[in-house]
Parts: sequence; structure tokens; C-alpha cells
Amino acid sequence: MTVRLSKRYGFAASHRLHSSALTDEENRETYGKCNNPYGHGHNYEVELIVRGTIDPVTGRVVDLVRLDDLAEREFLSPFRHRNLNEEVPAFRMTVPTTENLALEVDRRLREAWPESFPKDGPCLEMVRIRETDRNICEISAKAETDVLRAKQEPGT
Amino acid sequence: MVISKRVEFSASHICRSAKLSDAENERVYGPAANPLGHGHNYVVDVAVEGEPDPVTGMILDLKRLREILEDKVLNVYDHRLLNREVEPFETVVPTVENIAVDIWNRVAPHIASHIGGRARLYSVKVYETSELSVEYRGEG
Repeated sequence: MTVRLSKRYGFAASHRLHSSALTDEENRETYGKCNNPYGHGHNYEVELIVRGTIDPVTGRVVDLVRLDDLAEREFLSPFRHRNLNEEVPAFRMTVPTTENLALEVDRRLREAWPESFPKDGPCLEMVRIRETDRNICEISAKAETDVLRAKQEPGT
Repeated sequence: MVISKRVEFSASHICRSAKLSDAENERVYGPAANPLGHGHNYVVDVAVEGEPDPVTGMILDLKRLREILEDKVLNVYDHRLLNREVEPFETVVPTVENIAVDIWNRVAPHIASHIGGRARLYSVKVYETSELSVEYRGEG
């Protein structure tokens, strides 16, 4: 039986939304208060949705201890109480919007996934990040493939 | 079009498999393997897919859905020790995955018969805590 399991994690971090490709005025217009040069922070929530079949012995779709370990290693420990712009290399050149944060969490998890779970085991179906209750971004496995394809085939 | 109804129940359970050693049970389930059990306030979202009836404007009679959920789920699960008092959990580990599948199996036939084939059960989503939930859509 195929089920989807959702596990929610939280971390607090600071960031500043500012693009070096825009002028100061354009940055202020685009990002508003989030462009404050001193930065600001959020209590981020990350929801991982895992799809797979229920193991008949354990009754589990995914080994939750391994999932928790993976989350801790790949994004909770690196992001918790950090200044994302300054302390996470991926955001030195990329603006740490909720969208880019979702892409980064998704990328890290997909790279590390095969070390934690068997090939025919559970798969990561979606990553959903809540920056606030009113600002939520989600990325599904298919959408991620589309983004990578767009990056590989610019202009197509 | 999908409409969903939420119900809640409280129950205790023990997550241990007779096919695993004590050490394996404790690794897989952590504190949930406590042989004396523990409990949760479960939240269940039951979603039904269909088209609104042209006369009533409703996919199904929500009062009737509530009765089905009371009768087939809450009366069975609420304030019970799942391992001892709810089939099939004497032999199947009452993980939130298996609870979602069992609730589906209890509810699905009644939705189909009540609606006369115009709507079907779309998904059962069970929250064990606000951090952990499982959704089952009847897929094999």
C-alpha cells in the first residue's frame, strides 16, 4: 500500500533579501522590509513528504530515525541559528528567498538520500517551507526535475 | 472537486513488532516501543471526491458523513488501547501508516454505498502529532 508521510521540522535563522544584480533602489522596491541591510529572522518550518509502501514487518513507510538524522545533518544543523547569507555558502551568491531555500534543502536531501535509503525504498515527494504562516513555498520531485532541465537547457 | 471533514479521537498504542528483537524495536520505534503504551490526540481528515448535486449544491450530505465517521471510526478508536481493542492491531503494528489504511478500509464502502456511486473516498490523512502525519489515497 502506497502512503505519503509528512514530517515537520523547525529551525530559526536570519537572512537579508538583496540581489547584487539590482540597484539599491530596485532592491528596496523588490524586497521591501526584507532588504533591511542588517537582516532579520524567521522561525522556518520544513515539511518533508515521503512516498512509499508500508513495510509489512515494521508498519512504517520510512525509517523515521534515519529521516530525522538526514534532516539534522543536511539542513537543521547547518541552518539553525545561522545568518544564511553569511554562513551558508549556497547563499553567498544566491538570494535566500523561501524559493531558493526550498531548492537548496531539496537539493541537499536528494544528494544524500541514496546513502540513507535503499533504491527501491521511500522517495522524497515534496519539500514545503513555511517562512511565516502566510509565506509558504513547496517543491515537488517533478518540479525539481523541470528546474534542473531549464538550467541545463537555457532558452529552451 | 474534493471536500474534507475533520474528526478527532484519543487513543493509546504500543509500537512493537513481534518479528523484531527488543533492540530492533527500540531502534525503529524509539520511545514509542514502550511496552506499557502511550497515547496521542489523533486528527483525521477524510476527503471525498465528486461533483456537487445540482439540487443541493453538495457533493454529499455532510451530516451523513459525520454519522459514518462517528459510527465506523470514533466509536471504534476513541479512548481505546489500539493493540488490544481494535482489529487488526492485535497482529498489525498500529503505526500512523497502518491506522490511515485501516480507517480507509472502514470508511470507503460506506461512502460509496451512501452516495450511490457519484462520489468516492479520495484520501484519509491521519495526524499523530502536529509534526507527523500520513495520507492514504487507496493506492495498492
